[in-house]
Amino acid sequence: MKPELQKQTKQWVRAAGVAAIWAALISAPFWMPLFGGYTALGTRVLVLGLAAMSVNFLLGFTGVLSFGHAAWFGLGAYGAGFVLKWAVLSTPVAVIAGTLLGGIAGALLGALLVRRRGVYFAMVTIAFGQVFYYIAFQWSSVTGGDDGLRGFERQPLDFGAFSLDLLHNDVYFFYFALFCFAVAVTLMALILRSPFGRTMIAIRENERRARFLGIPIEFHIWAAFSLSCFFMALAGALYALLNNFADPRVFHYSLSGDFVIMAVMGGMRTFWGPLLGAIVFVVLQDYISSVTVNWMSFIGILIVLIVLFFPRGILGLIEQRRAA
Amino acid sequence: MLELTFFNVTNGLIIGAFYALMAIGLSLILNLSGVINFAHGGFLVIGGYLAFTLRPYIGFWGALLVAPFLTAIIGFVVERLLIRRLYGRDPLYSLLLTFGLAFIIEDGTRQIWGANGLPFSVPEALMSPLSTQFFFITGYRMFMVAMVAIVVGVLFVLLRYTRIGVRIRAGTLDLETVAALGVNVRALRSLNFAVGIFLAGLAGVLAAGQIGLEPTMGDSLLMPSFIAIIVGGVGSLTGTLLGGLLIGVASGLTAVVFPSASEAIIYVMMAIVLLVRPRGLLGEEGMMS
Amino acid sequence: MSTLEVKNVTKRFGSLVAVRDVSMTVAKGELRAVIGPNGAGKTTFFNLVSGFFAPTAGSILFEGRDVAAFTPQERVGLGMARTFQITEIFPELTVFENVRIATEVAAGYRLRPWLSRADTAEVRHRVEETLALAALSSKANRLVGELAHGDQRAAEIAMALALKPRLLLLDEPTAGMGDQETYEITQLVRRLHKDGNLTIVLIEHDMRVVFHLADRITVLDQGSFLAEGTPQEIATNEAVQTAYLGKAA
Repeated sequence: MKPELQKQTKQWVRAAGVAAIWAALISAPFWMPLFGGYTALGTRVLVLGLAAMSVNFLLGFTGVLSFGHAAWFGLGAYGAGFVLKWAVLSTPVAVIAGTLLGGIAGALLGALLVRRRGVYFAMVTIAFGQVFYYIAFQWSSVTGGDDGLRGFERQPLDFGAFSLDLLHNDVYFFYFALFCFAVAVTLMALILRSPFGRTMIAIRENERRARFLGIPIEFHIWAAFSLSCFFMALAGALYALLNNFADPRVFHYSLSGDFVIMAVMGGMRTFWGPLLGAIVFVVLQDYISSVTVNWMSFIGILIVLIVLFFPRGILGLIEQRRAA
Repeated sequence: MLELTFFNVTNGLIIGAFYALMAIGLSLILNLSGVINFAHGGFLVIGGYLAFTLRPYIGFWGALLVAPFLTAIIGFVVERLLIRRLYGRDPLYSLLLTFGLAFIIEDGTRQIWGANGLPFSVPEALMSPLSTQFFFITGYRMFMVAMVAIVVGVLFVLLRYTRIGVRIRAGTLDLETVAALGVNVRALRSLNFAVGIFLAGLAGVLAAGQIGLEPTMGDSLLMPSFIAIIVGGVGSLTGTLLGGLLIGVASGLTAVVFPSASEAIIYVMMAIVLLVRPRGLLGEEGMMS
Repeated sequence: MSTLEVKNVTKRFGSLVAVRDVSMTVAKGELRAVIGPNGAGKTTFFNLVSGFFAPTAGSILFEGRDVAAFTPQERVGLGMARTFQITEIFPELTVFENVRIATEVAAGYRLRPWLSRADTAEVRHRVEETLALAALSSKANRLVGELAHGDQRAAEIAMALALKPRLLLLDEPTAGMGDQETYEITQLVRRLHKDGNLTIVLIEHDMRVVFHLADRITVLDQGSFLAEGTPQEIATNEAVQTAYLGKAA
């Protein structure tokens, strides 16, 4: 096949794939029950998928090893919870507040963190995540401590003429979450396709060359880091709304690890891979923990196998096959 | 007041010694192989539980001697079979691997020995306090500090004066040159890993004597180890030792004035170090990338 | 005003002196070759000029301005570009994409979250121009990592060109190449020198290339300045001959 035609076919296949994904997402509440699923599970997948994609934005596309990203997820969750509990009874405000809290905190702390690279960066991000975990645990008067933040619930969306009961109607909430997901994901895609996004990829591909092309590395990494924190916090806010609850575990590095696993499992260098990884992870977790107590071993073994034998992840493997 | 301060500072030193023991093992592995061993806490747990299992057969002292070696052997096998394959790749993968291992170890421990805590008794001779005035300094705690001091001392001597020790130290600075000089780098890494795990296993046995056994006991020591390394300085073992002791003492001192913040202080120290001297107290410039 | 003026620059690594009291002035539009036996400190010299690290002593002036305070990325902004001894490129991107990144940075777009249609077209046009200069147009959509060594080097030079530099530093551009590839790179550099009106400083081991291209040659030996002059003068310089013949390298 001539190169031009090949390129065009590739673009069509890609567009069709993306269209299929959106079609599946939009119609999820209708086909999920056929497979034994339920809408809230779908919302959970969306939220965790967004979190995994946010980690991937940094990890897969900039090459930055952030292993404590749950910190921003947790801040998003607690931020949304605080607003609903003590400030304004409004779901959109809660979501925005949570997103801003996590994003801004990430941007501020990120300035401290980007001085380091590689494994040392990972260590520091993990430690930072644990700081928040610790605060959430100890400051029980404010955060509810180990029991978690309770006493808030998602509020109906009031459009004047009618209102959508997000609390009792899982399907409405799914579409709300999907809307937020769509906004975030579209922004991510636009950024990655922009000149700035290309500098991120350049940094991943060859940091030295990027530097000697005139790109101020630390600043660009900080910018990418901060952006990913905003996306992460949005996912966290939605998570809190999904459960009407937030507890310190949303800060723990094991959750950070889960997000990274989802990204790697689905395909770290691809855009939609992490969502796929989230689907597989959530479904597996749901299924395995209903069958056995030892799901921790199972996940552990799965991680080891993936790292050793399938590091490119599902989508990564598929893309490789097609290119070959 | 003075007595309280003394009590807490001593306590802090004892805890600090413990943090240092864990952190040094972690640091050894990190410096030479660039691997953050998330499973370090897991190996601590294995050390403790192995000692528990061996105790009825070879007694406390036997278990203290044998368990760390067994743990080190397990660590050696893990490194050879699993971790070794990932050295050339993105550091993400070895990080994930040890992360997965930590899960497996924790759950495995739960499977084999049960989820409930287990007691680990220590010989009478060690349990008695030093004197009525210093009742809180039980013999066991002194023993722990003494053990840590001896082992760390031996380690430092080995690193300084034996051929392997020198190679490990050189390898931390420039592995390529060491390899070019004909040293078997793969074997060096495996050995180094085993030494690090030995320290973790030993920490497990010591911890068992103090707080008993539980599948999750490794977790709470992992973070302070990280922070000891960050505070003490990346790339420097002496720094890590210092870092561990410092955060332990800081923790102890804080307990005098502000008991509930004694855990928070180590995070505050980390934040201060990152702001003021990012490479850590004894860290070397350029070790960060 | 000379493009590059290096004044008594020394670089020490602990007790090792890599570059010792070296001075050099390169005029605008000149093609200067820096040669010397292995270990002469040539790459260290480049690293100093491009900002990889700072000199222990001495100063470096680019177009009359002291660049000591400028980071490598800032020096690129000032008008310097370099290539490396081991080709530094973005292996999993196409040639086009590689050059595009350089072009966008040079155009000041590196922080732009979005590019208008007109700007995108303009960038594309510029990239294609640069590719044509480097004779890589036919390979634009190939992954750089999969190209032959010579083409990779040409791609790296293209990226440097896309930055619209006024000083181009090439570190052993023909290293590891066979005759044909060496010829092509040499022709490329010559074209750039004549048509692009660039000031070029070139580290080279291949004497054919050096004598073919250079206006002037500086010779370094063991980190110190040995000689400087036209190719003719250097070819007949005894000290230079001893330095080369006396070394096993």
